[in-house]
Amino acid sequence: MNHLSFMDGTLVLEGWQAQAVERVFGTEIWTWDGRANCWRCAAQQYPQVLKLLQEKATGYVDTVPHWQAVKFRAGKLPTLRTEQQQAVDAWLRTRAGVVVMPTGTGKTEVALRIMQHMSCSTLIVAPVRDLMYQWHRRILAGLEVDAGIIGDSLYNVRAISVTTYSSACIHMPKLGNRFKLLIFDECHHLPGRVRSDAARMSIAAYRLGLTATPKPSGHLANTGPSRLDLPLGGSPNLDDLIGPVCYELPLEKVRGRTLADYDVVRIPVHLSDEEQARYDGLADVVRHYMHQRRTEEPTFTWEQLCMESSSDIEARRALQAYRQKQAIEDRASEKLRILEDLLRLHAGSPVIVFVGSNAMARDVSQRFLIPCLLSHCGKKERLDYLDGLRDGIYPALVANQVLDEGVDLPEVKVAVVVGGMASTKQAKQRLGRILRKRADSRAILYEVVCQNTGEAKRSRYRRDSDAYRGTRHRRL
Amino acid sequence: MLTRDQSVVTYESGLAIPDRLKRSTHRAYIILAQQMLRVYENGVGRTRRELHQSVSRVLQNQPDCPPRRVAAFCKLLDESATYIKDQRGSAAKLRQMVFRTAAPLHPLVTEADAWFEHEHMAAKLRIAEQLGMSWPDIERNLFSDVIEFHTLQEFSGYASAEDLLARYNVAQTQAALYDAVRLRVWAQQDFKLILRYAKLARLMHTIRRINPATYCFDFDGPTSVMTSSRRYGVNMAKFLPGLLSCRGWRLVAELRPPRWRGRVTLKLDSSDGLKSPVSAANNFDSDLEREFSAKWGDQPRNGWTLKNEADILHVDQKVFIPDFTLVHTSGQRVLLELVGFWTPEYIAQKLDTLKRFSQHPILLAVAESTTKNFSHLSGSETRCIIPFKRRLSVTAVTDCLMNSSQRLPAE
Repeated sequence: MNHLSFMDGTLVLEGWQAQAVERVFGTEIWTWDGRANCWRCAAQQYPQVLKLLQEKATGYVDTVPHWQAVKFRAGKLPTLRTEQQQAVDAWLRTRAGVVVMPTGTGKTEVALRIMQHMSCSTLIVAPVRDLMYQWHRRILAGLEVDAGIIGDSLYNVRAISVTTYSSACIHMPKLGNRFKLLIFDECHHLPGRVRSDAARMSIAAYRLGLTATPKPSGHLANTGPSRLDLPLGGSPNLDDLIGPVCYELPLEKVRGRTLADYDVVRIPVHLSDEEQARYDGLADVVRHYMHQRRTEEPTFTWEQLCMESSSDIEARRALQAYRQKQAIEDRASEKLRILEDLLRLHAGSPVIVFVGSNAMARDVSQRFLIPCLLSHCGKKERLDYLDGLRDGIYPALVANQVLDEGVDLPEVKVAVVVGGMASTKQAKQRLGRILRKRADSRAILYEVVCQNTGEAKRSRYRRDSDAYRGTRHRRL
Repeated sequence: MLTRDQSVVTYESGLAIPDRLKRSTHRAYIILAQQMLRVYENGVGRTRRELHQSVSRVLQNQPDCPPRRVAAFCKLLDESATYIKDQRGSAAKLRQMVFRTAAPLHPLVTEADAWFEHEHMAAKLRIAEQLGMSWPDIERNLFSDVIEFHTLQEFSGYASAEDLLARYNVAQTQAALYDAVRLRVWAQQDFKLILRYAKLARLMHTIRRINPATYCFDFDGPTSVMTSSRRYGVNMAKFLPGLLSCRGWRLVAELRPPRWRGRVTLKLDSSDGLKSPVSAANNFDSDLEREFSAKWGDQPRNGWTLKNEADILHVDQKVFIPDFTLVHTSGQRVLLELVGFWTPEYIAQKLDTLKRFSQHPILLAVAESTTKNFSHLSGSETRCIIPFKRRLSVTAVTDCLMNSSQRLPAE
């Protein structure tokens, strides 16, 4: 019995002698699995395996794919802009690759057009629940298909389905043979050690990655390079998991054309005397500890401190002091005052406020009674807020990281970033939120940053990134 | 099970040592555990955040207590707790109402002036009045659906402080296993149970016999044969409580912690004193087996000693462990399977298993009413069928062993 089957995210080949396997496939693809007396390889190899089988073998049984036919009604999708059409054409040449386009330049339309062109069973993988639901809506609106939802405690698999990276990773052992086309939204999320199983455990030959930032961000403050999770035994990258970059649209090219031109205005805030005193005290604790340790051991690092904090009470105090210090920055009372000034200044124009923590988001929401978008918000509530901001029902919105990436926002011209991280990736994504073109008006991004604290430093890093290059900085 | 963020484990010269609170070194924790239990027992109506803050206050003066240990205790206590969740979205409705009512007043300012006349506190009181509630009530309920603000409804608790600590120790060992890429177990007893728990945890096995009394099991998952992956670490962690309820085993897990260079091993054995939350399973599948084993006794009869589930037959991922092995003083081993009075499904399944393993000689003791099902087994010339009425007698088996000893090839 020469049988090729799909099992738990792998391909299984039964009834083949080693010589036959080598003759047809060479030695690279299959591994002998003595536990189950079969040959095994990653499901991702399926297109290659199939090609070799068709060329060189006869009389085999292939029970791998469980694809469903898909037919879209034509004509609902909008006409693509030149660069979007170029992206579609570029991808169609290879049918496995990454499209790099800045946020706000219509990656979703590119993907929908590709889905329509391919008309096959498709799984869209999005970073978070919100984006998953957003894809669901866009597919319903653009292709008139009610896509299945896998994630958010739902497991409803259909020929066209949407999911999140974590659900895809969990369920791909069962789903890997159901889809012909995989679309990875914000695909820089994929190459995690276990996460990348979402790509490896699928037999899909057609793979599309969408991102504004194909590489992990260069400067990851607070985390260090160790966070760039490399897998065990070889390092998967997007090239291996999806395909090489097939189209790249640099941000410069679209600024002022597709996107609104924008200003960055940095507003320094000062901690109150009481906050500053506490802040300095805590900073002293941290500095003192690090100094002491480095005197004994010049190479002592922050990572070591984090590790030692589990067993060493002094290290733990230093770490706690550091966290409290950050909390003071995050929720500095002055920030609320500045925010009030900005809301006064832009009354009548929708404003989106980004903050560094859920607690701060709730502080802002309770102070100004404006909706806050947090992970606990249900689908309906979220929609109400987003539509409400667009339709002028709500004057402003506050959000934490939920909106960092890809969530379609109503067009706003004013955004305020209160605190936040230094990662260039995050800065780009956040900027993308306010860059929607609207007539000829310029957008403004305010950055409210604590002076004399770590936040000021992070803001400087952020300005070094591509997205900020050439923008104006001024003080209020 | 804990999350990775709650895992406390130290690495020392290639060994992983999960956090463990012991009577000898952490005596104070019995009282602390009692206090933590009391926080939850008296905590009905309090929010999750308040409970967690109280728990961390209980532990704050412990010199060696890392924040992750605090978080782990909170998780274990929460696992026995029921919180009131805002099922019908009343908080969301309240928010929507408040924000919509407030929208025309935007922006709410600290001090009213000629341009913006809505001072925020006055505006809030007015909004509250409009909605027919008090402002403090609104403030309290506005985010009551946020997980930290859920209120405790019921706490089913742990049997004792010691029980909570035992659960903590197991949970930390499980959490250390999340980073495992391979798990090896040497076992001298309870083979069937160990393999069953592994199967329940969806692990694949490789079985090797080290010596007549010891088996070595390697547990991993489908892709492990191609690459080392932490993907199955969670399955290994799920397997642990079952294993802990078994006897006579030793475990070595290969861990690849993120942010840690090289390999680390975790070692554990059945005498380590980790208390399983799973109660120990019965030694015997049925009374029939128990009675027969008791009748045979510990001593050899005609040179044959009776051992319970001592041999594992396996093909691919299918496993068959006959009820008994008869071991002769000469070293010869004969397998014995008892087939009692069971449902037709059971009989069909048993027949299927026997057919799959038909190359192995085996003595079958079959209840008379079902003998006919077994008469046409392929390979039955190597098997001896012993019919019995209600109970299997020792002599029936010894007679069969004597009569057929020439025909029974050594296993």
